[in-house]
Amino acid sequence: MQTIPADLRDDFVRLLLSVADDKLLLGHRNSDWTGLAPILEEDIAFSALAQDEIAHAQALYGLAASVSHPDARAGADASGDAPAADALAFGRPAAAYLCAAFVEADDGFDWAVALVRRFLCDAFDAARLQRLSGSGFAPLAHLAARLLREERSHLEHASGWLVRLGRGTTESAARMQAALDRLAPAAMTLFEPFDGEDRVASAGLYPGDRATMFRTWRAAVEPVLARAGLTAAFTLDPDPPRGGRRGVHSPAFSAQLDEMCEVFRLAPEAAW
Amino acid sequence: MSGSANEGVVVDPMIREEDPQRLAEFEAKMARGDLIEADDWMPKAYRDAMLRMAEHHANSEIVGALPEGEWITRAPSLRRKLALTAKVQDEVGHGQMLYRVSQDLGKSRDDMLRDLITGKTKYHNCFNYPVPTWADIAMIQWLIDGAAIMNQKTLADGAYGPYVRTMKRINMEEAFHFRSGEDMVLTLMSGTPLQRGMCQEAFDRWWGPALMFFGPPDKPGAEHLPPMRWRMKTVKNDELRRRFVNRFAPAAIDLGLRIHVVEKDGHGSVIAKRPDERAVRDAATGDWGYTEPDWNEFFRVIRGHGPCNAERLALRRFSYEQGHWVQQAVLGRRAGLPPAA
Repeated sequence: MQTIPADLRDDFVRLLLSVADDKLLLGHRNSDWTGLAPILEEDIAFSALAQDEIAHAQALYGLAASVSHPDARAGADASGDAPAADALAFGRPAAAYLCAAFVEADDGFDWAVALVRRFLCDAFDAARLQRLSGSGFAPLAHLAARLLREERSHLEHASGWLVRLGRGTTESAARMQAALDRLAPAAMTLFEPFDGEDRVASAGLYPGDRATMFRTWRAAVEPVLARAGLTAAFTLDPDPPRGGRRGVHSPAFSAQLDEMCEVFRLAPEAAW
Repeated sequence: MSGSANEGVVVDPMIREEDPQRLAEFEAKMARGDLIEADDWMPKAYRDAMLRMAEHHANSEIVGALPEGEWITRAPSLRRKLALTAKVQDEVGHGQMLYRVSQDLGKSRDDMLRDLITGKTKYHNCFNYPVPTWADIAMIQWLIDGAAIMNQKTLADGAYGPYVRTMKRINMEEAFHFRSGEDMVLTLMSGTPLQRGMCQEAFDRWWGPALMFFGPPDKPGAEHLPPMRWRMKTVKNDELRRRFVNRFAPAAIDLGLRIHVVEKDGHGSVIAKRPDERAVRDAATGDWGYTEPDWNEFFRVIRGHGPCNAERLALRRFSYEQGHWVQQAVLGRRAGLPPAA
């Protein structure tokens, strides 16, 4: 499939935005650590992860822009400073963002929280990109296959750290377990469906279903937690409350958005 | 980024205690233009001075990452956000490489990080100034990175092999930062009146620190003092400043910027300014003139009383302390945190 049927277009754009918004916010949160990570080598690595996520978001926004406005050229190449991609990244009201509550939250500059979140998100993203790489919309399938290679290396990186610190000192193990206890319930918000998810799934644009993806995710997460000596219980809510995926965000999210868009909003039409 | 950290190194009494034969071989090597390697014999005074220089430079890189890092979350486009993240990542990477050079000269990284946050060692002065707007980011990448490249190109002609090779690598990356800065300045100066105004104000804040970047006016006979005699430094401060002004004063004017002499308050904000009447090209020498920056301010900031010294060190300390449990788990670092500065 090379074009999206008009009746599925809005749902499909929501799919792309939910992925892109997760990545933008996670990359944004990771970039907070630039210059401040506990070890210089890891500072450099975290920055590389942030750049990957932001670049993934850029590509997905470009695609979303070209699907929303099939006649406009802007954003179609998803590579440059496409104003359409920037307008999606910086120019929407809070309720139009579809990221999960899990990626928005402040990590309080707690490295254990930052790492555990990364790990759970990387596993989720790998499972989601796997699903997207089977999309009937060829441009998305190709893009997802490319991003998946990077996402797997992110997961490997996070897994290594989980095991290292889970099996490090008594203190590091306790901090990692505490972070996991705090984050495990919130991680389930990643699985909240966006409006129209079932429709794009049954049309083959996003093949698969939540329950299968949750099992794939657990199969990736649990062996690493076991190796790290950490424990968590995950339960998928069959009917989760309306949250980030449906535009319902915390007040803190608006504040974060205000910061992220501070300069852009000074002159939204201008080049920066 | 780089700085001059070697004022005041007294050499002769130290050298007098060295083995005369080895010292003669060392100086002959220098005279031939050979590189000194980490495992070569070197006088203690040389090792100490080289360590001090590389450590100061490494400190400057990681402290320098902070003011720019603050703006990653506010970058106004995805492209700029990516470029700035990559740029700050490069600076941290430079810090990592330079700490490794310093480690080989005999000081552990942990000791260097502790000395930095307790104020025992310094970093480059220009990072003690505030970065209040996005245009300051553009200005740092254009003017300060431009100054750094100018300085570091000459440091790459030095004599200490590991440092020289690191400089060459760093300079390649700095060239990208400079291009990115130039592009940002050009974009702002071609933009809305608000953008042009931001850019001029940022230029007013950074022109002075850029002139100060190369260090204070040279002492008489600088070429005989250790930094130059041992080719740790190959060009005098004033000569570097002359080259910088000749390159950047006309470039600024071409872009539509005006060069001002400014007066700042204790927070680094400009409270008064007037056009710098000396900022013209001398037809006879071809050199551009400039008004000397306020050297009293320079020394006040070096002594720790600049607008942002406390803030920068507090953040480095925060990073060290919040990550200490990770360092202990992974690197087996000693327990206990360093005392307050």
